[in-house]
Amino acid sequence: MIWEVFRQEKTGGYHTHCGNVHAPDREMAQQYAAIQHGRRKPTNSIWVVPRDEIGEINDDEVAFGGTTDRSYRWATAYNTTGEDASEVVESEDEQADAEKRRGEA
Amino acid sequence: MNVGAVKERAGPREFSPADDLPQEYREAATRMIEFHANSEIMGAYLERPFIRQAPSIDRKLAFSAKVQDEIGHGQLLYRAAESLGVKTREEMLDDLANGDGKFLNCFHYPLKSWVEVPMISFFVDGAAMRRQATLRRTSWEPYAHAMDKVCFEEGFHVKHGEDILKELMTGSQKEQQMTQEAFEEWWPRIIQFFGPTDDDSTHHDFASSVGLKQKSNDDLRNAFLDQYIPKAEKYGLEIPDEPRIRERDDGTYKVEEGDLDWDEFFTIAKNEYEPGVGQINGRKHAQEAVQWVRDTIETDTTAASGHAPQAAD
Repeated sequence: MIWEVFRQEKTGGYHTHCGNVHAPDREMAQQYAAIQHGRRKPTNSIWVVPRDEIGEINDDEVAFGGTTDRSYRWATAYNTTGEDASEVVESEDEQADAEKRRGEA
Repeated sequence: MNVGAVKERAGPREFSPADDLPQEYREAATRMIEFHANSEIMGAYLERPFIRQAPSIDRKLAFSAKVQDEIGHGQLLYRAAESLGVKTREEMLDDLANGDGKFLNCFHYPLKSWVEVPMISFFVDGAAMRRQATLRRTSWEPYAHAMDKVCFEEGFHVKHGEDILKELMTGSQKEQQMTQEAFEEWWPRIIQFFGPTDDDSTHHDFASSVGLKQKSNDDLRNAFLDQYIPKAEKYGLEIPDEPRIRERDDGTYKVEEGDLDWDEFFTIAKNEYEPGVGQINGRKHAQEAVQWVRDTIETDTTAASGHAPQAAD
């Protein structure tokens, strides 16, 4: 049985997928995951999920957002004057970054 | 964990559903996040008619995207609140419909015309974003994660709102005058967005001591004024004489709290302000009108998993 492994580096961070392990049950999966994925890199917590329980939908089946040009949805599309609040600037930077990665995809 | 231990450990994103947390923490966090979620939903309902009334196709596209975002924020936040195990999503939505659910003061007022739109989508959203940015460091991890996504999207809302304000304030004399009038009407409410002064805030001390809340009402209000008074002035809006706002020597601002209508504020807080009651009921009716959609989805899900016989069988 295959278990997908999600590792969280620090308290409060996101659990991100980092690989999978073979194991007969959940307890063994936790043990294997701890050794394979928590031994070398800083780890705060690990989730193991049976692969069969994961539903997947990919871009052959559905048109995901973020690939067509909908510039009206981006903070970067609006030119305003004066200094923006720091959190607005941060949001705009994150959006500019996402927009750039869309161009690369 | 007892409350003492929670206070000791409290830090940004410190607690997750895996932790054994005392009821006091769970209830305080639920109250705060449920209020936030309800506000997203009620704000979206308030703005929704302006998708239709938007003056151009660009505005319509952007505004409809924004309203959709806000509903999504509500969904994210109900999940973050539900994960505390105090109330289910259904209970929170039912409470919102029956008038028990609380939400932001600004969304109890009617939004009558397009010139009022930037009062919400620039000033209120700007105020909300000041607050939300600090909540990325809240101690309830699912709440902080929801704030990551909300803040990512919210920058567009504020910039678009500002763009509408700019367009109106560089438009005809009539438009400028109507916008100024809307600003005068909304300004005190916007200042009250951050709630009563710290001395009168019921829930602040506990929420702050367990790391749920990161900044006090007064600090947030001042941070808002520091940032948004210069913006308003830049677009040619005149700040109303009341409430009196004093500029301190260091360039920051202080509001004369006695100039604000706190009776109205607390009537609103009890969901007893007439226009707000209308908006709660309006959403309830909209919710009931599309009950058939939810029923259809539920029925379809059962049928697809093969347990219920199909009508054609």
